[in-house]
Amino acid sequence: MKEVFYRIFVKRQEKYWWMNILVPVVSIFIALIVGAIFIASTGRNPFLAYKYLFGSSGLIPGPYFKSHFSEMLIASSMFIATGLAFAIPARAGLFSIGAEGQFIVGAITAAFFGYYKPLANLPTIIHLPIVLLMVIIVGGLWGLIAGYLKAKKGINETIVTIMLNWIAFHLIEGWLVTGPMKADVATGVSGTPYVSPTAKLPIILSGTRLNISILIMLFLVYAVWFLLYRTVFGYELRAMGYTAITNMEAPKIGGVNTEKRIMQIMFISGAIAALGGSFITLGVLFQYPPVFEGGYGFDGIAVALIGGNEPVGILLSGILIGALRTGATSVQLVKIPKTFPAIIEGLIVVFIALHELIRYLLVKAITKKKEGVSV
Amino acid sequence: MNWTYLINESLKQMLDFAAPILFAALGGVISENSGVVNIALEGIMRFAAFFGVWGAFNSGNPWVGLMWGVLIGALLGAFHAYITVKWAGDQIVSGVAINVIATAMITYFLEWIFKTTGYSPTVAYFGSSKYLVNINFIENIPVLGAFSHLHILIWISLILVFVLHFFLYHTVLGLRIRSVGEYPLAAETLGVDVLKIKWIAVILGSVIAALGGVSLSLGTMSSFTNSMPSGKGFIGLAAMIFGKWTPIGAMLASFLFASAQVLQFLLQAIAKGIAAKIPVGFYLALPYILTIGALVGVVGKAVAPAADGVPYKKEES
Repeated sequence: MKEVFYRIFVKRQEKYWWMNILVPVVSIFIALIVGAIFIASTGRNPFLAYKYLFGSSGLIPGPYFKSHFSEMLIASSMFIATGLAFAIPARAGLFSIGAEGQFIVGAITAAFFGYYKPLANLPTIIHLPIVLLMVIIVGGLWGLIAGYLKAKKGINETIVTIMLNWIAFHLIEGWLVTGPMKADVATGVSGTPYVSPTAKLPIILSGTRLNISILIMLFLVYAVWFLLYRTVFGYELRAMGYTAITNMEAPKIGGVNTEKRIMQIMFISGAIAALGGSFITLGVLFQYPPVFEGGYGFDGIAVALIGGNEPVGILLSGILIGALRTGATSVQLVKIPKTFPAIIEGLIVVFIALHELIRYLLVKAITKKKEGVSV
Repeated sequence: MNWTYLINESLKQMLDFAAPILFAALGGVISENSGVVNIALEGIMRFAAFFGVWGAFNSGNPWVGLMWGVLIGALLGAFHAYITVKWAGDQIVSGVAINVIATAMITYFLEWIFKTTGYSPTVAYFGSSKYLVNINFIENIPVLGAFSHLHILIWISLILVFVLHFFLYHTVLGLRIRSVGEYPLAAETLGVDVLKIKWIAVILGSVIAALGGVSLSLGTMSSFTNSMPSGKGFIGLAAMIFGKWTPIGAMLASFLFASAQVLQFLLQAIAKGIAAKIPVGFYLALPYILTIGALVGVVGKAVAPAADGVPYKKEES
């Protein structure tokens, strides 16, 4: 299965280098057109749909732009987190579907250390870093389970991460939130208690909910880029990905301690996904709710793929998906179900997958033009 | 306690749980033996579960629903094959695309067609007494009795395991599928149309996965709910890897997983004393913990078909 990935890393050496930018942009554009056709075929007005979708996506200035913009960045920071959490192992030839579980593990850890009484009276500058540190440790360890089993026992990381998602989900919803971490019944709160104000992520744009989560993610995008392209660790990680097709024999011969690397990679991946989960507890809901609306982990896979598993690409695709989701609620105003933007997301992924076709058509169109000019 | 009844009921429930997972796993087996990874199983099941109900809703007959499910499975398989075989697109990307679209589009269809959020109206289904496969004379025999009143899709899932085993290992087409998944270049040299074989395997695999979707919505249940298939496609994927890419292995893995589910219910039902104090979450998590335990203890390393996931491109001349 992981043999798939070697292709993703192999950067094409070709004449038209700008194809690598043009192809995703054209893919997004075609996806929007197909989405419009879909909307029209179900008897609704596609122009209205897009007007509402983008009008309240936070990308285009308009009424309530400030709040849409901040909501967009809040959502984007979570998608970027789960996107990176998929991409880092993928670059090493590991296929982890565990971001969903790591995300909720991060959310519940943040909730616990957020309301935990002995910490609640500390100032934010001390309390918040402690909470985030615990999130990183717990989330990282959750990711490490799959990494350890893969490295030491050779057990397929895909199965283990799928199982860990369910284990996390059931232990949290079937035990922690209804048991030891349940809010006091007298307060009338369902789910966990609310976190202390000192654990909330500081707001960076007054009058909105926009908090430092997006700054943390911007830093992390840079850190992951640096890690991948400017460190020995990143070099070895990419080498493992390149040679995944030869069952990691080559980097072993080259002196890479693959076992250690796999465990480190899975720890980092889990920690980043968990950080994304903590943003929802510390910046949006301020508690772990009784029923959690998940999906960020699975959307992270799409984000990573649209972004070509590149940190900067993930930053941009995370913002795009965040914007589509922010605009989602307002399409309901024109009687279009709010899952419509997710259809667009899927269509973008489809045309990303068809990049060979799009590349072929673009190259054909361009070369034809040039010939025409020369004649 | 009536042991015969308990054993038969548990086994019956196990087969019932196993069927959708087994279909998904078998679909994956066929596709991946030809070298095409299909993580879209989840999305295909969701599509098929919905259109199965839609077909049964319009006609009042679950068989029509089944046909719609199969048709949509074939279409999605063709879609996946078009991207991954025809254009050598990335198989994971294509699979994720189908999964994302399935979640979004089916919710959209529910609101658009049935004007509801989250569930469809109830329809005629295979679990109703009219459509059950009744074998009355084995009813009271331990173990065998479990098979006395199963719905047709469970039977199809069980028979399919052996059909596919025979197909993969004892027919020419099966051999070709496996050779294409192991060493496409050699197969090409021997005159096998690699791309055509992949098309066939992907579509066939998707149709089988679609049966899994139909067995969710028209098997024991009689309607579509938005929480379908809630990860059963991924569990099927896991069962396929667990079963080392073979039909019989996939069956054993699905059974193991379904048994853990039944065990969880039994434990919860008979929990007394200290066991009753164990939170429900632990019981629910048990099947997944057992799966990891089984992987660590028994199965260990699995080897995929050599060219699994590698797109095949014909040399252009």
